[in-house]
This record gives sequence, structure tokens and C-alpha cells, in this order.
Amino acid sequence: MLVDIDVSAREETPSWVAYGTPLFAIAAALAVSVVALIAIDVNPVAAYVQMFVRPFGTVSTLSNVLVRATPLILVGLGVYLPMKAGLWNIGAEGQLLTGAIVGTWIAINVSLPQAVLIPVMLAGAAVAGGLWAFVPALLRAKWGISEIITTLLFTFIAADIQLYLVRGPMQGGSGGFPQTDLLPGVAEFPAIPGTRAHVGLLVALLFVALLYAVMRRTRFGFRVNFVGSNAEAAEQAGMSRYRVYLLTLVAGGALAGLAGISEIAGNQSRLHASFAPGYGYTAVPIALLGRNGVSRMLLAALFFALLFVGGNRVTVAMDVPAAIIDIVQALVILFLITAEFFQRYSLSVSVDRGDDGQTIQGTEVSADD
Amino acid sequence: MTDDLLRMESIVKTFPGVIANDHVDLTVRRGEIHGLLGENGAGKSTLMKVLYGLYTPDEGTIRLDGTPLRLDKPQDAMDAGIGMVHQHFKLIPRLTVTENVVLGSREPAASFRKENVGDGLLAGLRTSAPVQAVASRFSLGLDRPKRRIRTLADQYGFNIDVSAPVRELDVGQRQRVEILKALYRDVDLLILDEPTAVLTPVEAERLFETLERLVDDGLSVILITHKLKEVESVTDRVTVLREGADIGTVDTADVGRAELARMMVGRDVLFEIEKPNTTVGDPVLEASSISAADDRGIEKLSGVNLEVSAGEVVGVAGVSGNGQTQLAETVAGVRDPTAGTIEIRGREMSEASPDEFIEQGVSFVPEDRHENGCAGGLSVMHNAAMKDFRDDQFGDSVLFDYGSVGEYASRLVDDFDVRGVSDVTDNCADDLSGGNLQKLILARELARDPDLLVANQPTRGIDVGAIEFVRERLLERRDQGTGVLLFSENLDELFDLSDRLLVMYEGEIVLRTTPEETNKKRLSVEMNGGGSKRVSVPDDPPEAATRRAADGGRSDR
Repeated sequence: MLVDIDVSAREETPSWVAYGTPLFAIAAALAVSVVALIAIDVNPVAAYVQMFVRPFGTVSTLSNVLVRATPLILVGLGVYLPMKAGLWNIGAEGQLLTGAIVGTWIAINVSLPQAVLIPVMLAGAAVAGGLWAFVPALLRAKWGISEIITTLLFTFIAADIQLYLVRGPMQGGSGGFPQTDLLPGVAEFPAIPGTRAHVGLLVALLFVALLYAVMRRTRFGFRVNFVGSNAEAAEQAGMSRYRVYLLTLVAGGALAGLAGISEIAGNQSRLHASFAPGYGYTAVPIALLGRNGVSRMLLAALFFALLFVGGNRVTVAMDVPAAIIDIVQALVILFLITAEFFQRYSLSVSVDRGDDGQTIQGTEVSADD
Repeated sequence: MTDDLLRMESIVKTFPGVIANDHVDLTVRRGEIHGLLGENGAGKSTLMKVLYGLYTPDEGTIRLDGTPLRLDKPQDAMDAGIGMVHQHFKLIPRLTVTENVVLGSREPAASFRKENVGDGLLAGLRTSAPVQAVASRFSLGLDRPKRRIRTLADQYGFNIDVSAPVRELDVGQRQRVEILKALYRDVDLLILDEPTAVLTPVEAERLFETLERLVDDGLSVILITHKLKEVESVTDRVTVLREGADIGTVDTADVGRAELARMMVGRDVLFEIEKPNTTVGDPVLEASSISAADDRGIEKLSGVNLEVSAGEVVGVAGVSGNGQTQLAETVAGVRDPTAGTIEIRGREMSEASPDEFIEQGVSFVPEDRHENGCAGGLSVMHNAAMKDFRDDQFGDSVLFDYGSVGEYASRLVDDFDVRGVSDVTDNCADDLSGGNLQKLILARELARDPDLLVANQPTRGIDVGAIEFVRERLLERRDQGTGVLLFSENLDELFDLSDRLLVMYEGEIVLRTTPEETNKKRLSVEMNGGGSKRVSVPDDPPEAATRRAADGGRSDR
């Protein structure tokens, strides 16, 4: 080999690296994506302007981003909280679906004044999502059965139940589409005046603030951090791993359930077979990017919303196949997650004089004694 | 001088904000054991990583046998004849001893080696370049290396089965495999990084005998350590580092222990600890016939009776693995007993949860600082408040006041002289060196003013300065009325600190005595189960016999 790559752990991360790498990663991903865009004869500059600048053009375009961000924030929190306790809520999608189902059922079948109905719908969705996470949480807390597997399997169950319901007992509307009736007007989340954004966004921001306070200002947050960092030590310090696992995962499920009903009652107005294009899965990279703080998670959710909305714009306005946009989005996420490596490690590449076939030495070294 | 094997001159290595090595000189003669002594963080490991090609020095030269060396990677160092045994072994448990040793420098299978090809029909084919190239990459000949490794092992008296998988070996044997790896590569200079940190005293003795034989055969050895006793007993010369600076090289025979300690720490160190008599109070711990199992459910503790009173230190001796860990964890409340009762200050606690033990005034310094003693990724502040965060001083029942937790943590850091902390919220526990982390844990456990302190190996793997500090604090607590249950593999420590002594063997207490009534020899015999079962003790420690039995009766010859 002629090139010698040396990876070493950083003693400290300089602030320009901490703040610069995400931006640099996005730029690099977009630069690579240029290849795909040029290959199908699209002007990349125009596409990127359409994707990242135009959404900020008017209040209405901006509110599209906020509408899209609303479920992402909520379900992101639903993955973020268990992640702080060291759990992977991979099945947030299933909790989101159950929340949507139960919330929709309440909206259609219960008649109450709006000021009561909406809180009841929210509560029902939260309870449903929480219950959907309860069994995996119990299995994990009691017997250490991997929540990664169980929450995911519960997602498949929820997805199939949802398909059955919209084709069977809950099917409504005309034309036999796999969807429910439209929600009655009183059940629709009111819009924030002047925008398309709805009450769901306020609920999401409320929970961002609440979680921030819980993690930073309560003993429960202290316990969650400790269990997430070293469960063994936490247990010896008298903290109950059982309680923390159960509470965070069930609360995570409840938040995901809220995301479900918020998307239905705030945006789509009915439960459709494929109303949620994998928000629950998107929440995993969102939580991962934002795992160092609730506010960062909020930023990550907003950025993902921008990616989706901007991507749609390019697809519609410039007649670019959706698959190409998927590639661009995937590259951005991939680069962002890879970039975290460079915040913790520095890399030096040198060209070897190379007289014999020596191998690359990737030595992990640290400066401690 | 002609007998100098290695000369490192004026080595400088800096890291952001730290000078790890400040113009350090190190000369190692042929056939000597050279000690490299210093506290944690003194720059010993940095210097050795420079020598082993892991770090590039900012300044300075390295000469081996008069030839200047440029070491960019460990392979360069190995090629030059330098071998290193790391503190944490680099072995693959599933592979056999032989496979581990040849890893990275294997030979092709026998039928592809030139001398074995013969004149057969396929000879031409087997020796052709492409076949050889494939054979050297994809075939593995272990027959010849195995013979050579076995010869090496026999030559130095290593009691190892070369075809056994490494996972079946104990720690001492694994270390010998690491040494074999170096010997197999024909090194002239062998570096050992704190080799005794993981060994029992008996195994350490064996290691030193091995090292003596290696230097008799002309090898040179660098022994990195912070244990003065080792330097005294085994090295010929010693180089002392302190905070990155080169304090000097001396002949070990010319200096005493106190002098070495002064060079290393920069001030006088007390070896004799004042131990005033105190009055023993009421019992704080009464355990009767408790049994406990390890994590795999195998019984490790069989019906132990134990009482610790306020104001006394009860020392527990034993060869590791004889149930001390389980006893410590059980009486500290972090492991449930399978039988028997535990009373803390008269309250029955056998079924109680860890936090009830904490509430009842039990503090615990666990054996493994990193595994159980702290959350490495969290801040010093979090770790300082790991047990006391429930206290009312840190806010009311709803809100938790991180401001006052931070102040509390800073106070502990100052009081216990925990170094390497610039900001309790910024620095995480993993940033601290072993000794400083141990001080932080001790600070946390003692600041709670406990009635019972269970300390398991509180001074293992930390440097003399910190050891002295920890011991003084333990005695100080005793004088203030805490009952201390101290587990240690260091007999000197047990004799210095304990008011009463217990010896554990195979899950039972086999001897109850006091430091005045017994001596170390008697204790060693009891620790190895020789007290009740044998009358005389042969030179071959009984432990070796146990180990052979544990090997499943496998013989290496």
C-alpha cells in the first residue's frame, strides 16, 4: 500500500470542528449527489435552490416544512428518550400507527365539543402508543430481551392491524379505498392563524420543553442518564434499571402515538393505509443526530422535514424521479452520521515511500498514561 | 559504551496542553532489567509508545545497537527487535496459543514449503510463483511454529499447553503467551507495561523468575511500573519520570525505597501509617451463614458468619476468586444472598434493595472502578453525586438543582485532591487516571458519612501517592466511627490497616485472627487452603496444583 492512514482520537474537539462538520458533511453529500443529478440531465444548482432555499420563500412554503416537522419532532422524542436510557426504540413506527388508529377511532365515534374532544384524542393516542411499547418494555426490563427486536416485531403487528382496519371495520368514504371516513370538523386540529401549521406543532414544542426540563432539572433525568451510561453502576447506586427502562420506553411509545394522531388530525384528515411513510424509522437517525440534547434533536427533526419538503418540490417542479431525491436524502443522512466520527477522531493521510507491501496501520491510540 | 542496547535521547512528545515527555533520556544495557518508574500520568506509557512506534516523537533520537531508528508503526519496532507486552492483552480467546503467537507472521502449510516439496511430479507446480503466493496467503502451517513455541515455552519453564485455546488459560498464562509472541519474533528488547497489575502475588513471583532467565539469555527488559517493591526486587537500574520530566537513572542497589518514592512523587512518602487505637462500638454489620452465587449461578460463598463493629477495620485476605467479590457485594447490598441473614445497624436487610442499603448508611467501593464504580461517559459531577443525588440539599422533591450538585462535586474534588479536573461538568470520569478516579469514588462514598464502608481492592492499580492517601482516609473514617470491611490482595496493606483479619478460601472463612497474632507466611498458607488440609507446605504452591486441575488435567508434555 502506498497510502498510510493514521486515525487518532482527539483530545478535545475544537469548536470549529464541532460546528463546522455537519455543514461540511451536508455540502459534501450534495457535491456527491451532483453526479446523480447530472446523469439525468438536471441542473444541480437549480435543484438545490429548489430544495433548500425555496422552502424559506413564503410563509406558506415555510409552514409546509413545519407541518412535516410536527410528527417527526414527536416521534423523534419517542426514540430520543429511550435512547438516553440506553434503549433502541426501533419500533416507533408501530407505536405511531396504534396512536393514529385509536385517535382516529375516537375522532370518528365520539361526539364531544372540540375543546374536550382534541385532548381526549391526544390522550387516547398516547395511551395506545404507550401500551404498544409496554410489552417490549416489560420484556426488556424483566428479562433483558432485546427491545430492538421486539419493538420492531410489534411494528409489523400494528401495520397489519391497521391494514385490516382500513379495509374492514373502519373503512369509510366512497370508492372502496383503503381509508376511513374524513374526520368530523370538530376533531380537526385548528391551524395556527395565517399558516398551515396546526396545534400539533404546539403540542410537539410543549413536549420538547417538557423533556428538556425532565432531563436537565429532575432526579428522574439524572437516573435516566446514569442508567443509559452504565446500567450496572446505576443499579449499584440504588437506581432501578427496571423502572427507568419501563418508564422511558412506555413514555417513548406515548410520544410516538401522539405523532400518529397529530399527523392524522392536523394534516391528512383521515386514516389512510399508507399515511405514514416511515416516520417512525426516520426518527432513529433524527434521535441519533440529536442524542446530545433535546434542542439538537429538534434541529435534526426540522432539517429532515426540510429535506422531505424540499425533495418533494424538486420532484414536482423539475420532474425529477423521486428515487433520485431519495438518493440525495440518503447521502445527506449518511454523511451527517459519518461526520460524527471526525468530531471524535482526527485523520492524517500520508503517502508512503512504499518499498514493500506494508499494510495500512490503523492504530487506535490515546494519550492517557 | 559498548553494552548499551538502546539509547533514547532527549525525547520530547507533547499533546495539546500537556508535555507528556520533556527531554527524556533512556539507556538500556544489554542483559539488564531496566525499571521505568513513575506515577500514573508521569509519561511512562507515552515514552514506551514512542519506542514501539505508536507515537512519533516531536524531538529526540532513538538508537538500537548504535543504529538510528525511525519507527512509524509497531511493525517497524518489531522488525528492529523490540517487543511489547501490553497491560491489556492483545489475544484472541477463541484461537489456540500457537495461532495467537503466529498471528501476523505465519508460515504456509508444510506441503508448500520449499524443503518439503521434494522431487515429486508436482514439485515444479508447488514451487511456482503463483502457487506460492496463494499458499502464503491462504494456507496455514502450524506444525513447525508449534514445535518452536513448545521449545521456547519449555526453555523458560512456561506451564502452557500450546494447542489449548487462549480462553481456557488464566491471566498469568495469558501473559506468558504474550511473552511467547515476542520471543517467537526474536526480540532483543522486551517491554512490559505494568505486567503485575493483573497478577496475584504468586504469579508475579513467577513472572519475575521468567524475566531473570530471559536476561540471563542476553535479552534486555524494560519494566514499566509504579510499584517500588518490584523495582527493588527485580531491576538492575531504574529511570524515574515525574510529570513528563526525566528525574534521572540510578542503580537500584544504590538507592532505598524512600529515595525512589521521593524521586517519583517529589516529596517524602510515609510507608508506616500511624494507627492509633480506637474504641470499638456497636456492631454495624452482622451477617450470619450467608451464601451467594456468582453471575452464572455457581455458589461462591458458603455460609459465612461475619461481624463488623463501628470504629474497626476488618481485613479480608484471600487468593482472588475464593468468594471475596461475592461477600463484598452481598454485604454491600448489590447482590442478593441465596441464604442467611444480613443485619445493618440491627435492621434485617437480607431482602433489601441497593438503595435501602445506601439509606441505611452503607458505602461501597467496588473492585472494578470502571465497570461498577462510575459511569465513564458522564461528567465528574454526575459521578460525584451518583449516590447522594437523592439528598434534600440538591433541590426539592420535584426539581433537581444541578448548580448545587456542581458545587458539591467541586468540593469533593478539592477535598480529596482529585487531579485532572478543570471543570466538574466538562470532564468525564473516563478522563481521570486510575488513582484519581479511585479518589473520586472514595470521596463520594466517604462524604456520605457512612456507618459501614465495604472497600474491595481500594488501592489496586493506583500509584503510591494515591495509595497513601486512600489508606489514610480509610483509617480516618475508622477513627470517626465507621466500620470498615477491607478486601485486599496486598498483605502489607491488610497488616497495616486491619484491627482484625479474616482469610477466605473456597467461599468460607478459614481463619480469624489479628495482625499481632499472625504473620504473612501463615496467612499465605491459609489463603491457599493449606491450613487445615495440609500440615507442611511444599515449595510448589498448592495453587499450581489447583490450576492444573482446572486445566482439565491437560498436560503439556
